[in-house]
Amino acid sequence: MIKTYINGYESYSCAGDTESLMQTIYANQSCIEIDTSFMPENPVGLGKMGVNDFFATLQEVVNKVLLQSNLEDFSNTLLLVGSSVGGMAESEHHYFKDKNYKNIDPSRHAISVISKSLSHDFSFLDTRCVSTACTSSANAMLLAKRLLSVGAYENILIVGADALCYTTVCGFHALSVLSSKKCTPFSKNREGMNVAEAIAVLLLQNTPTQGAVELLGVGASSDAFHMTNPDPEAKGAISAMQKALDDAGLVAQNIDYINAHGTGTMANDTVEGLAVATLFDNVFISSTKAVTGHTLGASSALEAIISCEVIKHGMIPPQVSLTEVENKALNIPQKALKKEVRYVMSNSFAFGGNNTSLVFGGVE
Amino acid sequence: MQNRKKVVLNIVASSKIAAPIKIEDLQEKRIVPKMMIRRRLTRNAKIMLYIADQCEFKGGKIVYGSAFGELQATVGITDAIVNATQISPTLFQNSVYNSAPSYFSLLYGDRDEIITLSSGMQTSRDVLRSSALQALVSGEEILCVATECLDIPHIDEVNSCQSYLEMGAGVVLSLAEDSLDAQEIALIEEDGIIDSMKDLWSVVTMAEKGIKKVFVYL
Repeated sequence: MIKTYINGYESYSCAGDTESLMQTIYANQSCIEIDTSFMPENPVGLGKMGVNDFFATLQEVVNKVLLQSNLEDFSNTLLLVGSSVGGMAESEHHYFKDKNYKNIDPSRHAISVISKSLSHDFSFLDTRCVSTACTSSANAMLLAKRLLSVGAYENILIVGADALCYTTVCGFHALSVLSSKKCTPFSKNREGMNVAEAIAVLLLQNTPTQGAVELLGVGASSDAFHMTNPDPEAKGAISAMQKALDDAGLVAQNIDYINAHGTGTMANDTVEGLAVATLFDNVFISSTKAVTGHTLGASSALEAIISCEVIKHGMIPPQVSLTEVENKALNIPQKALKKEVRYVMSNSFAFGGNNTSLVFGGVE
Repeated sequence: MQNRKKVVLNIVASSKIAAPIKIEDLQEKRIVPKMMIRRRLTRNAKIMLYIADQCEFKGGKIVYGSAFGELQATVGITDAIVNATQISPTLFQNSVYNSAPSYFSLLYGDRDEIITLSSGMQTSRDVLRSSALQALVSGEEILCVATECLDIPHIDEVNSCQSYLEMGAGVVLSLAEDSLDAQEIALIEEDGIIDSMKDLWSVVTMAEKGIKKVFVYL
């Protein structure tokens, strides 16, 4: 069986690059700002990258991954994008200004604007774009592992990328799930989530290089319950996690840490907590969305990078902004915890009841 | 392309449909008897459910694709923002690209994997490729389906070349035991069919001509 190694990665979010992000996580800090630029009468917490040109930053992050890799270029690499909004921000800009579609380029509106933009800057063997809302880049990694395992490709570049836009900020507000403060996942009195933006890039290859982390297992399921609310019995979440464990050849007791989906909404955290408490016994769990916000289609790739860093640092991330824990059955650390971390699970759940879990392990 | 890994797939069932403006009879009352679900469906969902029904697919792994996704929901949201009116929560939940197969999951109680792709004009090619991967890895039948619904007000401001505004195509695929009589996908140029649908539309056309196996590159 051909294995999947994560040989390089880089990210950019409201917490800066990956090094800065991990320092912020371990320092128990949040990078969420309270913002009124999208909805002047409704302040909400957002995770803003603070860059002028999203696509220029995307190019820079991908270039950093190329430079740290054993590749001269991406000519023998499949680009697999995960995104939930694609070029929506640019379309909004034109539509809000012109009140018509005449200056909207359809090819820059679609999800594939990300692969199109990167194909302009780099030469890829091929490209493919996944869009399953907030599991987009997790499902890109699921496909990547399977493509590598059957020998279809040697190198796959995962790009999770989503920019803030009015549609998502105002849309989540319409669902009444946004927090006007910094989000507090797993807290008893949590108010909701913080929408955010990020770019997260990982190079997956079939042979390891120095410092590689292995993508050991992938598991996916559907709730078949509701378009936005998770199944209160958590059957879909449990199924995705169990499938990922099975794929990795592990049991629940092997997992040292779970990077939770942990959006901070009442519905998600309750159901995810139930799923974890059902399947695991006292595993450490926290949500780094308290630091970065929910970066939607980029979140799984960003949290995959965090999971790799947790293994390399041997340090469990604390639950930033935690006040009073709602589910006492969960083992949620309030301070960074130094310990050997061999296996990490990362959960992602999305609209449509789409669930994907990933399992990562250190390479001996 | 010659060195790329390819698999041989049986075309178990197939269906396609298109209309210049709006597909009239998608049999939604029969396919979706529950009004509460039916009234929330997007046009992509109605077409996708119709294709699945025609293929007699009731559950299992799905690979779905759409280059432009849920344009009607997206337009409803941006119009609400421009007009400073309330955004409908249903419109927002329907705006994600995986809405259509998620409604299938709700309707049939399907708890299996759903992958949604949106690769621009390569969308249905990539839906076929990812379906081939899923069939190879799982050994199961896969519903491989793509739809496009471009029928929004003032679409003519951005569309000058697509004469069909609604279309869908799908096949149920399974891993073939041998490559006997299998054919490479012959891309068929059909006026009005958007390029994002071309590969899957062509496979359905091949199936209609009696071809039962195709090669698909991973």
